[in-house]
Amino acid sequence: MMKDKALEELFLAQKPHFSDNADFMVALTKRLDSVEYLKQHQEATIRRYKMLMVAAFVVGVVSGAVSIAYVLSTPADVPLFTFQVQTGFLLWLTENSRLIAATGLSLLMTLGIISIINNIQDILRMRVYLKA
Amino acid sequence: MTREVFIAHVEREQEALRGFLLALCCGKKDDADDLAQDVLVKAYLSSTGYQDKGKFRSWLFKIAYNTFLNHKAGLRCTESIDEARALVSSTNADAEFEHQELYLALRTLPPKERSSITLFYLNGYSIKEIAAITDTSEDAVKKQLSRGRDKLKERLKL
Repeated sequence: MMKDKALEELFLAQKPHFSDNADFMVALTKRLDSVEYLKQHQEATIRRYKMLMVAAFVVGVVSGAVSIAYVLSTPADVPLFTFQVQTGFLLWLTENSRLIAATGLSLLMTLGIISIINNIQDILRMRVYLKA
Repeated sequence: MTREVFIAHVEREQEALRGFLLALCCGKKDDADDLAQDVLVKAYLSSTGYQDKGKFRSWLFKIAYNTFLNHKAGLRCTESIDEARALVSSTNADAEFEHQELYLALRTLPPKERSSITLFYLNGYSIKEIAAITDTSEDAVKKQLSRGRDKLKERLKL
């Protein structure tokens, strides 16, 4: 496509020249400083999340392992917990205390793992947001 | 890309970018400069993924074009030349520009036509380059240029 001469000349004649280039760069530098500050703040938040996640994971594994080891180390015929009051339901709880404790611990560990996965997803989402 | 390299590139290209946005904003310097700042912040945030192949200006213009289209929805659209004339004559900023008639005529073009015309006549890009910047086909750019040129010539009585 050929350029229209008259239009081209008109555009070239109106080509702007800016006298405030330095001011523009100063304003841009200020904006970039603010962006850098926000980026650093968000990166610090991600680092904190990571440390919390690792700490939660370690605490979860250690306490879970200790609890399960304790449950398994107790004699099979001795209940883990007993109640002063002897009713049908409480007796049933006492008789099945090992099973109930192991189920409870498994449940807690499952919830812990779900929480960790959620944290990982949050971090990934924040990273995508930071890169965008 | 480090911040220093980015700033060095921007210092070299800022006039072209501001000129492009000034034409898109039809001579409204404050709007154009605000938009240019937004464009450069966006470019800086995505500069980690930018690979320098000597096309920094085109890359910047692509971001500017998309940012302009996004902002356009929020800006007041003036279709009538008389309405535009009244608007321009009421603002001091635009009085600084010698070639108000061209800006007034540009104001009546749809944003995509205005962008293609500006990139073609003001910035000297080829149709292929404009298609890459605006993410459209070369045929679409040709149509925009043809329509835009006819409208401008009619408005400006060239």
